[in-house]
Amino acid sequence: MHRPHLLVPFAMLLPSLALVIWIIGYPVADLMRMSIHSVNRFGQVGSFIGALNYSKLLDDPLFWASFWRTCVWTVCITGGTIATSIPVALLLSQDFAGRSVARLIVLLPWAVSATMTGIVWRWTLNGQFGMANAMLMNVGVIDQPIEFLATGDIAFPVAILIGILAAVPLTVIIFLGAFSSLPGEVFDAARIDGAGPFAIFRRLTLPLIRPFINIAIVLNIIYAFNSFGIIWILTQGGPANSTDILVTYLYKVAFQYGKMDQASAMSLVMFAFLILFCGLYARFAIQERKW
Amino acid sequence: MSRLKKSILIWAALSPLLFLVLLPYVVMLSTAVKGSGEVFSFPPRWLPQELDFSNFVVIWTKIDFARALLNSLYVSVGATLVTLLLAIPAAYVMARYILPGKGLLRLFLLLTQMVSPVVLIIGIFRMMSAQGLINDHLSLVLAYSGFGVAFAVWMLQSYFETIPREIEEAAYIDGASWFVVLRRIFLPLAMPAIGVTAIFTFIAAWTDFILAFTLLRSPEKLTATMKLFYLVSGTYRVEWNEVMAATLVTTIPVALIFVLLQKQIVNGLSLGAVK
Repeated sequence: MHRPHLLVPFAMLLPSLALVIWIIGYPVADLMRMSIHSVNRFGQVGSFIGALNYSKLLDDPLFWASFWRTCVWTVCITGGTIATSIPVALLLSQDFAGRSVARLIVLLPWAVSATMTGIVWRWTLNGQFGMANAMLMNVGVIDQPIEFLATGDIAFPVAILIGILAAVPLTVIIFLGAFSSLPGEVFDAARIDGAGPFAIFRRLTLPLIRPFINIAIVLNIIYAFNSFGIIWILTQGGPANSTDILVTYLYKVAFQYGKMDQASAMSLVMFAFLILFCGLYARFAIQERKW
Repeated sequence: MSRLKKSILIWAALSPLLFLVLLPYVVMLSTAVKGSGEVFSFPPRWLPQELDFSNFVVIWTKIDFARALLNSLYVSVGATLVTLLLAIPAAYVMARYILPGKGLLRLFLLLTQMVSPVVLIIGIFRMMSAQGLINDHLSLVLAYSGFGVAFAVWMLQSYFETIPREIEEAAYIDGASWFVVLRRIFLPLAMPAIGVTAIFTFIAAWTDFILAFTLLRSPEKLTATMKLFYLVSGTYRVEWNEVMAATLVTTIPVALIFVLLQKQIVNGLSLGAVK
């Protein structure tokens, strides 16, 4: 009758499980309900309208513009971050003078929030008084100050670069772990057999760190897709929605345009996409751990 | 190749990235000690003509930034405590007991730890407002804990599994009770892991944007991040020297924690992120 050996562990698990299920489950259930009803701007749920919110969403050109921009945003940030992080981690795992200082500088932005970084960059890129303009004019790249954040054509690539800078530290940490896990003997053997550094990197290092690359790609996709702060601080998605990605557009549809029902439909579409990538991440993480 | 030559080459190769990483800090420091007149002149100088520390006084008196910092501290420490309180027992059970459905549970934790609040923000807003928690710091503590607890359990469990059971078993044989073993043997051994998890949860809460942005309303409740955001997003002229002083004050504590505990954090991060 008494099963303390099961009762005690479940009692210890239950609170955290309950909190996770409440904080994720309740919003998802509520969003599902709203997405198939009409909801006014004060959040009162009205009549059942089926898939109308979803079809309205698919007819919204701004949704599609944000969608494609999110694809560019995610691919560029993920690609740029991986392409930067692998060589940087490779360098940081060499033995050289001042290595711990270099590591510290590269990893520091992880602890300082993207919000702070975004705010300081906004000032640095200020069109009238910013340091970036002053430096570029000093070295003669430009003759007059640029308004970096005034048009989407310049602001969006700039935001991507800042996004990459914000994502590099964690990715470097992943690859530092990858390089330290490599078996030294295999590399010694390859060197004795006369393999050059380039061949070693391509034929040995890359295949061996493949699982880490997978994880880093999926993690960066998830981070880039969710990064609201950088865009919101730099441009708030403006001017005229020209730098909106899905998360910033979602916020506007819900809280500025007051279309809670359409925003709920959009939310769920994005949630499904996110869960897909979380699933991929889980798969790679499990493969890596082999439990 | 000599070590010196190699070191110079590596520093040279890293320099573009180091420059881009350090630039914001230099700009921040340089602007924070300039007077208003000097900030709004072009071209800007790196070194201020005269050091002006009045910005740090202004953010205390005019902006009431101390309260914003205290709010940040309050929600971050609160979230850290709640998360640990829930995650430590759960991780202990996951690491030490054979349970039916444990594999599924781990999968669930792995999946949910990557879910971020952004895509669910409408639902979270409505949930908190249904509970009457809008503009209440408790809503942030609950939300941070809810989104952080899966990661914390996962990370703690990874560490707990590396603590050898034999020590605990020896204590049981010597007649110690379960509670005594937990308190006297297991928890002290688990302390480093708990510390790293605490730092992670704290930093995640400290750096949050979207939840504080959505759930807080009145100026006296704002966290430091939000206060800064509203300072730069108003329609009036932004007093960048004051903003940079406030950014500096917000950044330094977290940067210091990171510098002091770099090794532990990096080890924890690679374990946490790569698992």
